[in-house]
Parts: sequence; structure tokens; C-alpha cells
Amino acid sequence: MPDSIKNIFFALLFFPLWGTSQQNLLDSLQQELANHVTKDSIRAGLLIKIAGEMTYSNPKDAFPFVEEAIAISTTTDWSKGESYALRQQGNLHYVMGDDLAALDAYQKAQHLAQTIGDKALETSLLSNIGNIFADLKQYDRALENYEAYLNSARALGNIPDEIKALSNMAIIYNDTERFEDGVKYLERALKLSKQEKNDLFIAAITNNLALAYKKLGQYPKALMHYQEAADLAHEIGNKYIEASALNSIGTVNIILKNYELAAINGQRALDLSQEIEAVEWQADSWKVMSEVYEHEGKMAEALSAYKEHVRLQDSVLSEEKKSELTRKEMQFKMERQQAEAEEEIRRQQLVKNGYLAGAILLALISIAGYFLYKRRRDALEKKRVAEFNAKVAETELKALRSQMNPHFIFNSLNSISDFISKNDVKQADEYLVKFAKLTRAILENSEKKWITLEEDLELMELYMQIESIRMANKFQYHINIDETIEPDNTLVPPLILQPFIENSIWHGIAPKKGEGEIHINIKKEGDMILCTVDDNGIGRSETKKLGGKKSSLGVKITSNRIEIINHLKNTKGSVNLVDQKEGVRVEIRLPLELQF
Amino acid sequence: MLKAIIVDDEQHCIDRLTDLLEYNGHEVEIMACCKTISEAKKQISMLQPDVLFLDVQLGNVTGFDLLAQIDRLDFELIFTTSYDRYALKAFKFSALDYLLKPIDRMDLMEALKKVRDNRNLKETAKKIDVLFHNFKDGADPSKRVAIPTMDGFTMVDTGDVIRLQSDGNYTHIHTNGNKKITASRTLKYFEEMLESNNFFRVHKSHLINLSFVDNYAKGKGGYITLTDGTKIEVAVRRKEELIKRLAPNS
Repeated sequence: MPDSIKNIFFALLFFPLWGTSQQNLLDSLQQELANHVTKDSIRAGLLIKIAGEMTYSNPKDAFPFVEEAIAISTTTDWSKGESYALRQQGNLHYVMGDDLAALDAYQKAQHLAQTIGDKALETSLLSNIGNIFADLKQYDRALENYEAYLNSARALGNIPDEIKALSNMAIIYNDTERFEDGVKYLERALKLSKQEKNDLFIAAITNNLALAYKKLGQYPKALMHYQEAADLAHEIGNKYIEASALNSIGTVNIILKNYELAAINGQRALDLSQEIEAVEWQADSWKVMSEVYEHEGKMAEALSAYKEHVRLQDSVLSEEKKSELTRKEMQFKMERQQAEAEEEIRRQQLVKNGYLAGAILLALISIAGYFLYKRRRDALEKKRVAEFNAKVAETELKALRSQMNPHFIFNSLNSISDFISKNDVKQADEYLVKFAKLTRAILENSEKKWITLEEDLELMELYMQIESIRMANKFQYHINIDETIEPDNTLVPPLILQPFIENSIWHGIAPKKGEGEIHINIKKEGDMILCTVDDNGIGRSETKKLGGKKSSLGVKITSNRIEIINHLKNTKGSVNLVDQKEGVRVEIRLPLELQF
Repeated sequence: MLKAIIVDDEQHCIDRLTDLLEYNGHEVEIMACCKTISEAKKQISMLQPDVLFLDVQLGNVTGFDLLAQIDRLDFELIFTTSYDRYALKAFKFSALDYLLKPIDRMDLMEALKKVRDNRNLKETAKKIDVLFHNFKDGADPSKRVAIPTMDGFTMVDTGDVIRLQSDGNYTHIHTNGNKKITASRTLKYFEEMLESNNFFRVHKSHLINLSFVDNYAKGKGGYITLTDGTKIEVAVRRKEELIKRLAPNS
């Protein structure tokens, strides 16, 4: 039962008022169009009007007119024309039952209306769109649109639109069984309609109100309103509303067991609905009649009326089923479209995310690139600084080496002077020649960064020979090179041992009573070579007592040289002085540098 | 008894050499001591010495200038010098004898012994030729060099030497004409002499002329292939320096 009643709420969407006057209007419009061939806004306007006139009579043939109107509007950049044409196209689709195409056209029109700021058009489109959602039973969205429609109508002071919005919303409330809300909205709509003196609206709204009261079980109120609606409908000649209202009066009276009233109203409704070929209402009328006959005991009539009811009901139901199917189909289509739209949004989001990710990646790459560049630049800078430092160190080293020479030279010159003063000319000569040789060798070698151990030890031997002459052979020297060392392939900084040997001779052995000995040992120690200089002199404590210097200039210079080599080669060369029972041991560790 | 002439512009140098020679006994007779080139030239042609002690630096001129003015070099030559790197290098190239001042008695005796033992005027002339060659073509990287061998000397153009290989106290010298000369000197001797002539010690046993490098194959130390096809191993420790020398800009 509820199913059959459901559609009885009269939606104030379109009230087809079709008559000969419309046909005449259409003819004159078409005549006007034939005379106006220029593709401008006037022609577009005519086209829209013609299509509008054809909406209910011949919607299918109206499409070419709107299409031309759209084409003219787009080529002439007439957005208003385009939006009205689109709205008309939507109307045509709606009438043809293609809700989705209609929705599409309406939404396009709405977009344009918003762009050009045509509030009136925007408002009416909200209503159109709301209707479609209502048809598709998308009540939330329908209400959304109707509410916007209501607000716009109020803002524009358009009362008919306000009435339509209110009653359409009420229909939705009633359809969703929120009858109190439905009644509230309908009462408001009714009040406005009366204010406007719009009888059609009053009739339709009153009819709807009656249905709502009926649903609420307030039968007297329902009957009263039905009667009002029926009377007014009769007055204005709207047989749809009249038939519907009369049927409802019949039904309510059956419920109230007023069979006589039910019979009268049912019969009138049946006559009217037969007149207007409204199958649904006929079915309802037959139902009323069947129950009346049943009550009167006219079982044969009752049965035939009931059969008629069922037959018509079936056809209505099948129609309903069909429309339900269509609706379902459309819902499905729309859902699919929505899904597609959502998919599209997701896709776009994905693309957006992709762009974002790309941008972030690009930024990261740029940052990474910058850091790599910076690191490279820093490394280069570091290398340059290191190279510069190395150069400085080399220069320092060279300066230290050249500092050696005067130091040694003046000590030797002092010896020569000593010989001469002692009148030992032959010794002085021999000494001088050897000194010249040594000086030459030192001059040549001190230029070099590294010389072979072999050469360096030869130099040291020559040096010790000279010092031995000077001290009248007071000491002997021994040089021992470990087998693991190749003297001709091992590189050492030139004259690195000389200051220590000099110290041993002059501070260790010279003050000593008796013979002195110097042992030079060279051996490998991992990746270092260990050079030791041992003397059996008086030792450091004695030297200090004798007022000797803490450390000679030569020792200081050598320590500095080793430090610089450590810095350059990243090694751990060192100089250690070890006091022994007798004399001092000097340990010099140098990086093991091989020539080949 | 060797007849000797001393050429030096400083009297005390002459005196010292005279002292040393006289101290050595009666082996050397000093026939004249000259302080200028012109005097020396005159004395040489007059006295026909066996050996000439010639100072390199003679005031504004050099001992080489004197040699250039003498037509026939029929005497042995011992240069004396204090410290002149350029001259020393020239002597080494030409294998001429020289004594460094202050002269060591032992060195002098050794030099005189050589003169007595290996008197070979032809070779001396050749050595002097080499000396002059190198002197004139100071800018030419290809210098002549007198290589001491078992039987005397061989003159070789440094530009013809492809590589030198050490063999104990001897050195095998491979030249462009596929010739092999065995020198009675260590590789180190040649390394010191030739390192400024585009020669490079790539290995303990190998000194190569970089002008003859065909390619270098990288490796631990790598290998050098020379234009005559020989492959020479490069010592790990020489690799970096070698690459620097081969491709200074890389």
C-alpha cells in the first residue's frame, strides 16, 4: 500500500499546461526564427524559447534547437545564452527520463551561471538539480540543493521559488517519513501560496498536507485538507489533483467506515481519473469501490472492482517497477560516474602527489647535489689547504736543513782554528780536506728531501772520521745495519742522525776520561725504521752538572723536522733520549720509505 | 815521470797542487804554472806536457775556452774546480777526470794513476769532443755522453738511448739501433747523470728514456711498453711520480 501512495505527493516541478495557445506561440516563434537567420544572440534566444515550448509536447525534436543555441552561444562567447540553453537541454533530458544527462547539463549550466553571476538562473538550477536527486532518492543531496534553492529564492525575494523549495523539501521529509517536518514545511509553503493567491500551489500543497496528516493518523485533519484540495482543484480545473484528493477522501472514509462517503468520492475519482486516463488513480478508485461493494455485500461487484484494481495496480506496479529499475540503473550509473569522478579525483590527487613527490625528490636531489658539490668543493679546498700546508712544511723543512749547515760549518771551522792554534798544520790540512768533502756532500744532499740510507751513513762516517781526527782518535764508531734493511733502497731525511752523533761526541765522550764508543744501529720496526745512537759517554745528568745545554740547536731542529715529516706523511716518527748506565741512547723512529 | 802544466788563476791553488805533487815524490815534473789562457796556450805548444791540470774558472773565462783554442790535444787532462755544478755535470757526461778543491791527496794520486795506466790520447780527444758538444748545445736535450766500458769509452747520444738495465756493478745500455753497451758503472751513476735528460728510474733495475715510452698499462705498479717492444715493470713506489712525469696535467 505505501508504495502506491508514495508518488501521490505532488511535486511542484512542472505543471504541464498544454493547450492550443502553446501551439500558436510555438508556430509564431518558429516563424520568427525562420526570418532571423543571423547566428547571434537573438537567434539563440529564439531557439531556447522554441525548445522550451516543445519540452512537454515534443522533447525529442527540441534537441537540435538547444544544440544550435549552445553552438551559437559558444562561438559568440555569450555565456548567458549558453547557460540558458544548457538548462533547457537539461529540461529536455529530464522529461525524456535521462536524469544523468539532465544532471550533467544542469551542472554545466550552473557552473556558467556562477561564472557570469546570474543568480536567478543559478537558483532555478538548484531546484532542477534537487529534483533529479530526489528522483534518484539521493535525499541528502536533494535536500542540500533544495536548501540552497530556498536560501537563494529568499535572497532574491522570489516567493514562488520559495514555495517550491519548501514544498519540495517537505515531500522529501514525507518520503523519508519525517512527517512532522513535512507538515511544518508544507504549512509554511501553504501560507506563502495563499499570500501569493496561487490556487494551483494551494491545491497541490493542501493535498500533500492532507496526505501527511493521514500518515500521522490525524484523519479529520486529513479529510478536511483533502476536501479543500479537491474543491480548489475542481475550481481551477486540475483533474489530477482532484482525482487524487477524492481517492484519498474515499480511502480515509473507508478507514473511518463511512462507506457512503467513500463510495461517492471513489466513484467521482474513478470518473475523473478515467477521463484523464490516470491509471494509478483508477487503480486506487477501484480499491475504494471494491471495499465499498464488499461492505454493501455486493460480492460480485466487489470482486470485479478488486480485479480491476489489481490489474491496474499491476500495470502501475510494473510501471513503477520499470521506473524503479530505471532509477536503480541511473543510481548505478551515477554511482559509477561518482566512482569514476572519485577515481579521477584520486588520480588527480595521485598525479598531484606525484608532482609533489617529484618536487620533493627534485628538492632532495638538489639538496643532495648541493651537499655533494659542497663536499667536493670542501674536499678540494681541504686538498688545496693540505697542499699549501705541505708546501709550507716543505719550505720550513728546507729552511731547517739549510740551518744545519752553518751550525755544522762553524763548529768545524772552530776545530780547524783549534788545530792551527795547536800548530798541527798537517792535521789541520788533512782535517780541512775532509771537512771540505763533507761540506760539499752536505751541500749537495741537504737540498734533497730524502737520500738513501747508504749515502746518509757514508756521510755520517765521514763526519765521525773528521770528529775522530779532531779528538785524536778518542773514540771508535760502529755502524750496524739489520739484514732486513736494504741501505741502497731505504730513504731517510738527510743528516737526521748528525746532531745526535755530535751530541754523543761532544757532550758524552769528550768530557769522559778514556776511550769512547759510538754504536749506530739501524733496524726495521713494523713500517718504521728505528735508528739508535748509543754512546758510552758521561750521560746527561753529568753533562748538566758540567753546565751543558739542555738540548742543542741541532737536536731541536731535528725534532722539528721529524714533526713536519709526521704531518706530511701522517706517520708517527719520534725522537727519544734514553739514559743508560753508561751514556745516552737516542732512538729515532722514521717512516720506512723505500725508493722502489 | 809525467810532464805537467798547471793552469790556475789563483797562486795559492797553484802552490797547494805543487806541494801535493812534490810530496808525492818524483813521479810528476811540473814544467810550468800559468795564470792566463794566452800564457797557457804558449807553454803547452812549447813544452808538450803529458798532463794538464786545468782550472775551470779562470777569471772571466773558463778552461774550456783554452781547450777551444788548442788545435792538437795531445795531452791528458785533469780539471780542477771548487764548486761548479754545471761543470761537474759536463765532466761526468764526458767522463773526464776532475779534482775538487781543496784537493785531497788520495784523490790526486788516484787521478795520476789513471793517467799513467790508461794513457789514450785518442780517447781523451773524443771525451773533449763530447765536452764541447754538450757545451755548445746547451739547449739541446740530446747530449753526447762518454760511457765507460770494459775496454774504454763509447760515445752515445742520449737521444738514442732507450733504456738502461742494472746488472750488479754494470749497466746494460740499450740504444735505438738495437745495440747493447755494457758500461762499467752502476745504474745509479747513470741515473744521476741522465735524470735531467728525460730519463726516469721506473724500477730498481731500470732507467728508461721517457721519450721512448709507447704506453703505460696500469696495475699495482703497472708496465711500461717502450717503442722497441720491451715491457718494463714499474715499481709501486715509482708509479705516482711516473704518471706525473708522463702526464703532468692530469
